[in-house]
Amino acid sequence: MTVITGEALRPRHNWQAIITIVLLLAVSFLVILPLVFLVEESLNTGDPMAFPPEAYGFANYIAIFDEDIRVLWNTLIIAVMATVMAILIGFTLAWILTRTNVPGRATLERLMELPYYMTPLVGALAWAVIAGPKSGFINQLWKAAGGGGDIADVYTHFGIAWIMALFEGTVAFVMISASMKSMDPALEESARVMGASKLRTTLTVTLPLVMPGVLGAALFVFAEMLGSFAAALVIGIPARIYVITTAIWDSTLAYPPDYGRASAMGLMLFVVMFGMLTFYRRMINRGSFATITGKAFRPRPMDMGRLAWLLFGVCCLYILLAVVLPIGALVLTSLQRFATVVLSQAEFTLANYRTALALGPVRTAMGNSLMLGFGVASVGVLVMVVLVWIIYRSQLVGRGAVEYLVMFPQAVPRLVFGLALLWAWLNIPIPIYGTLWLLALAYFTVMLPLGVRTLAGVVLQIDKSLEECARVCGAGWVYQMRTVTLPLLKPGVLAAWLLIFMACVRELGASVFLMGPNAKVIAPSIVNAFATSGTELTAAMALIQTFTVIVALAILFRLTRGATKELT
Amino acid sequence: MSVTRIEVKDLVVRYGDQVAVNGVSFTVGRGEHVTLLGPSGCGKTTTLRSIAGLEQPTGGSISIDGQAMYDASQRRNIPTEQRGVSMVFQSYAVWPHMTVFDNVAYGLRVRKQGAADIKSNVERALDLVQMRHLADRPASKLSGGQQQRVALARAVAFSPTVVLFDEPLSNLDAKLRAEMRVELRELQRRLDITSVYVTHDQEEALAISDRVIVMNVGIIEQIGTPEQIYNKPRSRFVADFVGSANLIKGKPAGDGAFLTDGGVNLKVTSGHKPTGKENEVAVRTAYIDLAPRPGENHVPGTVRQRLFHGDFVQYVIDSALGPLIVRRPPTNLLEEGAAVTLSFSPEHCVLLEA
Repeated sequence: MTVITGEALRPRHNWQAIITIVLLLAVSFLVILPLVFLVEESLNTGDPMAFPPEAYGFANYIAIFDEDIRVLWNTLIIAVMATVMAILIGFTLAWILTRTNVPGRATLERLMELPYYMTPLVGALAWAVIAGPKSGFINQLWKAAGGGGDIADVYTHFGIAWIMALFEGTVAFVMISASMKSMDPALEESARVMGASKLRTTLTVTLPLVMPGVLGAALFVFAEMLGSFAAALVIGIPARIYVITTAIWDSTLAYPPDYGRASAMGLMLFVVMFGMLTFYRRMINRGSFATITGKAFRPRPMDMGRLAWLLFGVCCLYILLAVVLPIGALVLTSLQRFATVVLSQAEFTLANYRTALALGPVRTAMGNSLMLGFGVASVGVLVMVVLVWIIYRSQLVGRGAVEYLVMFPQAVPRLVFGLALLWAWLNIPIPIYGTLWLLALAYFTVMLPLGVRTLAGVVLQIDKSLEECARVCGAGWVYQMRTVTLPLLKPGVLAAWLLIFMACVRELGASVFLMGPNAKVIAPSIVNAFATSGTELTAAMALIQTFTVIVALAILFRLTRGATKELT
Repeated sequence: MSVTRIEVKDLVVRYGDQVAVNGVSFTVGRGEHVTLLGPSGCGKTTTLRSIAGLEQPTGGSISIDGQAMYDASQRRNIPTEQRGVSMVFQSYAVWPHMTVFDNVAYGLRVRKQGAADIKSNVERALDLVQMRHLADRPASKLSGGQQQRVALARAVAFSPTVVLFDEPLSNLDAKLRAEMRVELRELQRRLDITSVYVTHDQEEALAISDRVIVMNVGIIEQIGTPEQIYNKPRSRFVADFVGSANLIKGKPAGDGAFLTDGGVNLKVTSGHKPTGKENEVAVRTAYIDLAPRPGENHVPGTVRQRLFHGDFVQYVIDSALGPLIVRRPPTNLLEEGAAVTLSFSPEHCVLLEA
């Protein structure tokens, strides 16, 4: 045997440090710089289009309270209503699906993810079709049944909140059921053993233990609702109900665009959301989630007897309202020239799909979105793998800072980030404003938290010694990443790729500001179509987009199942 | 002893305010098998990982074959992959996405060996652990014991001169652990390797090492052969942690004598030069007889409790020395309440350092 000792191995460059520094610089450029521009513009009291500003002051902020107090009030009311509804729905469903013996539990749990994938934009369009005044399906049926006037109108504060709760509130269900699942059933069982009744156990043990989880979810959802855009855009603007996100959007449409006011509003929204999310994180870290031991339990479900079927009905009702009805209404609308739910009057046609696919702008928008999705997901995931590795595996100084930086976009409402990027790139002398390149940069930046979180879950599951062993065997960092880390990350990489792909194809908040006449993407185009042409064409476009997302989703499930099987 | 292969000098490892290793020094000779033994948190694994370069020490130096691998004064820290050591991990760290063959071949491929060399070296390594027939199996389809063998084969396949073992047997069940101990000892003898082994299992440490280093709270308590450690524990910690011992309080009474707090005069021995300040002696539970033997310490007592363990019987004996634990073979069982004479030689009555 030939003996090979340390000296025989070639010395290697310190790739790790080089790559880290480059990434740190790039990420801070992408994440922080736009916000700096935004702060500067919000303080601009001179000509709003001048850069750098000619005069500084707080006039923009003061003006919000003087002139837009109604907007703040709308925002608050709608966010509160949406949060309450989302938490009620989420808590009920989480309780049913984790703590009772409802029939078909596994399948139902899977179905609960669907509304999230529907997107609030599609949901809002669908509910406009279902419950719009006069021509809405519910009102059509009411009239056909002999009723007078409208019985349903989604163009109200409550209507906007309802759509937000249905399609953006699903995170409440996920968070609450996680806290219910992570509770050690022995805690309840010991109460029972001590002689407490079912009800007493629920009141004295279960509820107090789950409460922090519910409060955390409420805080998180409320912050999300404040920054919600799609429903407020589709429903709120025609109804003249402005919330802060739509008000920001509106002031950039004015002539001349009031970027100062928009920036001030955006920053206010950002500060409030950031504060709430920080508070939320502190709350979790303080360990008030005493129930969460990191271990998932499957608590013994309560036997509900015949009531189980009632609970089953509740779950089905939710799926009906959040998935079946909206999709059904859109399909029905998209297949007619003049949408009606009274089938005897309906004339079915594929013309809307033909028009949607034949329209040059729609075709290029869809093509652009798919291309951006592919590009951003592919390049982005590679960069994110390295970032995740540096944050969670390396011993480099400053990895905490990298993590903070990377997760930062999560606290910035998409729309505000879009605005910040718009203003930044209008003034940075690199001519990518109005091109797909800027959209790609924006997508990558706003997707950072999503991708990093997905990949981190997988990285943290990989036993550290698997990598250390490679080093001991003589492999350098790059060789180790290539032969051990990346192959082990495969399922996570696939999942992250598809999630980012889907999120890019559906992106609305940042896109509305950054889309140029020669760089259109699909989600804002759908909103435009809704504002300018009929609901029928819009429905067809929304369905084409949804269908693309569903296909991607199906591939995601197939591939990850295959990949995880390989490893277990 | 032969040439020094590994030398650890005044090693200190700190994590923030916590000191994991607090000035540890020892050497390992060529072909020697040294075990770091101690309870969890004593710094043994940190010491081992520092030798491998997986942990960044705060002070001291580590050299292998005379070359400095880590030296605080020279600000030198050679990266793991250039140290040329090999390691078997507690979790085995067998890569689940590769076959058994690819796992074992990894170190050879890193060293850019030719395909034929790789094949023959891998096969030889797999033969050593009787795993050649499973070479093409995906590593994810192996049992715990098989993974352990693959990890072992992988660690020796590229003919390293130093192999580090981080509690490699702790995840196996008791029976398999005993088997692997025998195989490990055999393997160490057959290959000309120097090894440092970490374990918290004192039986394992005594069974497979040339020398044992007992560690506690970041410092070394005692270094010695397994027999020295067992027969002549230096401190209360070693006597208590390695094997089982009775500790008897008292004070030295000059010239190999010890007066216990109960007023019994014992003849004792000492592994160190007595200072007169000692206040404890240790007697191994296995070295006490329950019938008088000439020339030994004798103390009368009564059997308070008997626990039948199968391979041995454990008695609790009340005597002037306090309650003593005695382990005897399961022959000639004594009843609870029976009168006995405790008998143990001065050789086995060890004065502990104060």
